[in-house]
Amino acid sequence: MTGAVLDIERLRLEIDGAAVVDGLSLSVRQGEIVALVGESGCGKSLSAFAVLRLLPDAVTLAGGRILLEGRDLASLDLAAMAAVRGRDASIIFQEPTASLDPLMPVGEQIAEALTAHGVVAPRVAMQRAREMLVSIGISDPDRRLTQYPFELSGGMCQRIMIAIALICGPRLLIADEPTTALDVTIQAQILHLIRELVTARSTAVLLITHDMGVVADMADRVVVMYAGRVAETASAEAIFKAPLHPYTALLLASIPHAALAPKSRLATIEGTVPRPSSHGVGCRFASRCPLVEDKCRKETPPLVNHGDGHEAACWRSHDVGMLGVPA
Amino acid sequence: MPRYLASRLLQAILTTFGVMTIVFFVMRLSGDPVLLLVPEGATREHIDALRRELGFDQPIWRQYLTFLAGLLRFELGVSVVQRVPAWDILASRIPYTLALAGAALVVAIGLGVPAGVIMAVWRGRWFERPIAAIVVAGQSMPTFLTGILMIMLFAVTLRWLPSSGVDGPQSVIMPAIALGMLSMSTFARMARIAVVDELGKDYVRAGLARGLSPGKVVTRHVLRNASIPVVTIAALEIGNLLAGAIIVETVFAWPGIGQLAIQAIQSRDFLVVQAIVLFVSLVYVAVNLAADLLYAGIDPRIRFGRS
Ligand SMILES: Nc1ncnc2c1ncn2[C@@H]1O[C@H](COP(=O)(O)OP(=O)(O)OP(=O)(O)O)[C@@H](O)[C@H]1O
Ligand code: SF4
Ligand SMILES: [Mg+2]
Repeated sequence: MTGAVLDIERLRLEIDGAAVVDGLSLSVRQGEIVALVGESGCGKSLSAFAVLRLLPDAVTLAGGRILLEGRDLASLDLAAMAAVRGRDASIIFQEPTASLDPLMPVGEQIAEALTAHGVVAPRVAMQRAREMLVSIGISDPDRRLTQYPFELSGGMCQRIMIAIALICGPRLLIADEPTTALDVTIQAQILHLIRELVTARSTAVLLITHDMGVVADMADRVVVMYAGRVAETASAEAIFKAPLHPYTALLLASIPHAALAPKSRLATIEGTVPRPSSHGVGCRFASRCPLVEDKCRKETPPLVNHGDGHEAACWRSHDVGMLGVPA
Repeated sequence: MPRYLASRLLQAILTTFGVMTIVFFVMRLSGDPVLLLVPEGATREHIDALRRELGFDQPIWRQYLTFLAGLLRFELGVSVVQRVPAWDILASRIPYTLALAGAALVVAIGLGVPAGVIMAVWRGRWFERPIAAIVVAGQSMPTFLTGILMIMLFAVTLRWLPSSGVDGPQSVIMPAIALGMLSMSTFARMARIAVVDELGKDYVRAGLARGLSPGKVVTRHVLRNASIPVVTIAALEIGNLLAGAIIVETVFAWPGIGQLAIQAIQSRDFLVVQAIVLFVSLVYVAVNLAADLLYAGIDPRIRFGRS
C-alpha cells in the first residue's frame, strides 16, 4: 500500500525458535487509526514493541519488514533506531505509572524526549514541556512539571506519557492498551484526548486493545489477531456489519457482556489461545471454533481478500453470518 | 522530610541509649564487676578499695545514672590494667581503624559496584565471566588467608610492601584489600542484582522509546534506582568491615581497635572492652542514620513521607 506511514510485512517473532507472531501484515496511513485486536497473549504487544525494536531479549525478530515511511526499521543500527524512537515514531504503554522513572520529576522526563534528539537545549526543553502540558489541557502545568510519578494519578501519568510521545511530533503513534490499567471513568477521557491530538496532527495511530467497544469508538480499520496470526482485517464499519471470521464474530458477540463488566473483556469466548509451541498445521482457532470442519484441522486457511480490503483467514467465511452478529 | 529526619534521629538516640543500658547491665549480670576488674590474686582490701573507687558500693540506680552521665562526657572509666582512661586508649586506636575500614570500603565499593554494573549491563558478553570469577574468588576466600597470601607474595617474595605494622601510607594497602575483598564481592553481587532488576522495569523500555540511548537510560535512570538497595548493603557491610577488622588487624599487626579488642579481652581489661563495644555500636547507629538520610536524598517517595 503506498502512502502508508507504517507498513508491517509478514512480521515473524520467535521465542526459542517457536513463532509467537507469524506473518503479521498491516499498514497505517497518515491520520488513520488502525486497531490491533486480539486476546491476551496473542502477540499484540510484542508486535508493537517490534516496530520500535524494543523487544525483550528472549524474543527475536525472525523475519519480515517494518517500513516507516518506506524506511526498513529492521535494518537500522542502534544509533539510527534511537534517533527514530520518540521523534519519528512513539509508543505509549499499558502501565503509565511504571513507565515513568519514579525518582525523576516528570517535567525532566518530558524534556528528555527533546534533548535526547538534540532538538533543543535543556532549558528550552523544559519550556517546551510546559507548552506541551498546556496544549493537552493539563491545569497548573508548572506544578505538574516538578511532581514525581507517585504524586500523580494513573490517568495523569498516561497524559504525561502522551506528552512525551507527541512532543517531537512523530508521524506514528503506537498505543499499547493505553487505558487498560486506568479507571473506567478516566479511560474515555484518555481515548478522547488521544483522538483529538492525533486528528489535529494527522498522526498515524496503531491502537492495541482487547476491547471491541474501544475499537467501535476509535478505529478506522481493524486487524484481528489470533494466536500470532491475522484472522481478519477490514474497515471498522465492515467488520462490525459483517465479520468474515468466526473469532471476530464471537468477539463482537461479547461486547454487550463487556459493557456490563468491562474487566471481563474477551473471557466470554470459551477455551484459551493455544501456546506457540503447540501450533501444528491447520487453523489455530479450530479448537474453539463453532464452525470447525475436517478441512480446518488439516489445512491452514490463507488470508483471502473478499473485496474492499476486507480479508479473512477462514475456510468458512461465508457461513460466519450464521453465527448471528449483533446488528 | 523534617518528620522523617526527626523520627530517624529519635530512633538513633533510642538505639544508642538501649545499647548503653544493655552494656551496663551485662557488666553487672556477669557477677561482681570488681572481681572482673582486679588483677588475679588481689587482696581483699585491694578489692574493697577498688569497689569504692569505682562506685560499685552505691545502689544500682545510682551507678546507672553515674554511668550515663559519664558517657555523656566520654568518661568510660579508667583502664585498671594500664591505669589510663579507657577513652584515651580507645581514641589513640580509632584513627587506624577508621583509615583501614575507610580504605577497605573504597576497595569494596570502588571495585565491587562497577564490577556489578558491568556484569549487569553487559550480561552474556565474554568479559562477564572473568569478572564473575574474581567476584566468586573474593567471596570464597577467608580474610586471614587472603591476608597471609598477600603478605607472602607482596611483602616476603616481591618486597613491594611492608609485611605488617604501620610504616607510611602504603602500609594500609594490603590490609585494606584483605578486609575489603569479601565486601567487594557482596557489592558486586548486589549491584548486579539491583541493576538487572531495574533493567527489566517498564521505565527502561519507555526511556528507550523516547529516544534515549541505552547508555543514557543506564546513567540517567537505572543507576539511581539501583543505588537504593546498594545503600542498604553498604550500611550492613560497614558493620561487617568492623567485625572483619579484628582478624585483619591481628594478621597485619595493625594498631586499630580490632587489635585492641583482642588485647583487652586477653588482659581482662573490661572497661576498655566496654568502651570498644560502645564505640562500635555508635558507629553502627551513625552509619544507619547516614543510610536513612541517603535514602531520603535519593528517593522522593521517602522525602515526602510515602513508602
Ligand atoms: N519477555 C518475554 N519472554 C518470553 N515470552 C514472552 C515475553 N513477552 C511476551 N511473551 C510471550 O509472548 C506471547 C505474546 O505476548 P504479548 O505480550 O505480545 O501478548 P499481548 O497480545 O500483548 O497480550 P496482552 O493483551 O495480555 O497484553 C505471550 O504468549 C507471552 O507469554
Ligand atoms: S478455518 Fe475452520 S476452524 Fe478456522 S475459523 Fe474458519 S471455520 Fe473455524
Ligand atoms: Mg500486551
